[in-house]
Amino acid sequence: MLVVEDEMMLLIMIEDMLSDLGCQSVSVAATVKQALALVGTRPFDIAMLDVNLNGEMSFQVADALVSLHVPFIFSSGYGADALTSKYYDRPLLRKPYSYHDLENVLQRVCADGTGGRRRV
Amino acid sequence: MLTIDKKSRDQIVAEACVEEFRKKLGPFVVAVERTRMAMVFTTAKQPDNPIIFANDSFLKLTGYARDEVLGQSFNALIGHASAPDILGKLKSAFGDDNEEILESTCNRRDGSVFWAAILIGPVRDADGNIVQNFISFNDLTKHKDELAQSRMFIDELNHRVKNTLSTVQSIVSQALRATNDPLVIREAIEARLFALSRSHDLLSQEIWKGAELNGLLTAALEPFQDASRKSGRFVITGSKIHLSPKVTLALGMAFHELATNSVKYGALSLESGSVSVDWAMRQTPNGERLIIRWQEKDGPVVGLPSRRGFGSKLLERGLAHELDGNVDLQYRSEGVLCTISFIVPKDDRDE
Repeated sequence: MLVVEDEMMLLIMIEDMLSDLGCQSVSVAATVKQALALVGTRPFDIAMLDVNLNGEMSFQVADALVSLHVPFIFSSGYGADALTSKYYDRPLLRKPYSYHDLENVLQRVCADGTGGRRRV
Repeated sequence: MLTIDKKSRDQIVAEACVEEFRKKLGPFVVAVERTRMAMVFTTAKQPDNPIIFANDSFLKLTGYARDEVLGQSFNALIGHASAPDILGKLKSAFGDDNEEILESTCNRRDGSVFWAAILIGPVRDADGNIVQNFISFNDLTKHKDELAQSRMFIDELNHRVKNTLSTVQSIVSQALRATNDPLVIREAIEARLFALSRSHDLLSQEIWKGAELNGLLTAALEPFQDASRKSGRFVITGSKIHLSPKVTLALGMAFHELATNSVKYGALSLESGSVSVDWAMRQTPNGERLIIRWQEKDGPVVGLPSRRGFGSKLLERGLAHELDGNVDLQYRSEGVLCTISFIVPKDDRDE
């Protein structure tokens, strides 16, 4: 799984939550550049993108994941307005979120063939 | 630019009327002419409410010369920048006693747009018929800019609060995972919460523009100082370096963890032990690299820790990740040496 998140405290907690969920390998990126490099070099089952990475938006990474048919979810400390219209129907975890919130969203995205898109 | 064809007789008469008033009504005329509020009179006796008088403030606000304005229809002059529904309201406000203040965007002569609060009121003759209308404009540009800025601040504040809550969630989560002992849990949560709070205090002092590295270290290490000792437990050396809020928060946590580990297992666990922190900036092709060294000495003989606690995880992985830099934590037998290095963005360095 790919986790794109730049805040270290939050990242450590996410890694713990994912480990509890049984996720076996987690790759992390803090910037769009790092994320794109990872996406380009190894396959991922699923990804989690923080919308705002210290001022930089992660939509470029989302574009790359879409082209590789990798399902993903967004997370954000801003509201639903954070999402650009192109990705408005994607699952969005609003910070702070609980272990169960994360679990539900990831399960939905994994199980759902449409990559967890909300039906608009 | 608007051009005016030869003026109609009615227009000439209406303008002459205004001239009459100017001669007769003294102080009131002066008031309208000199007020800083933009004002315009239109005649109701012609279609489209052409302008028969415009004060200097109006000309200054819109950038028009007086002869470009007299005889122009009010809506044609200002209105094409308005939204259609406002335009409709403006039109119907003429000849209406309502005196509702309408907010609308308006055009200046050069095509630029400004926000104004527009008040349109009727002027009646002795028989009660509306013969003219007067229109006053309050320039709202500054007000609108301030509103937009406030909204931005509130959004940013909300974002910061969410981040802080997530950090606290992480602090609690780590403490609960580490042990079952409630006293230890409480101590761990409180210690880190207060470390976070100290960083916030420091940032508030500079209205969240950032903090000085020196000040950050002093604040982070303050709870670990021993007032009873003659010499300080910490020796801090380095030039003035300004750090962004994000870096301040990350390093604040990191220094707290380093000090906490030192008190538990390192130099600060002994009376004789001390920590020296120094830093330097190095020019590199990618920018200016800040290298901070935390060196412990005169403590107990150090061995590799049997278990990597949250503190080590935070330092070796978390900090390097967040700063997009390197963190090297060495458990040397003479004392722990932690080297933190990262590129400091140019705009962060400006105070």
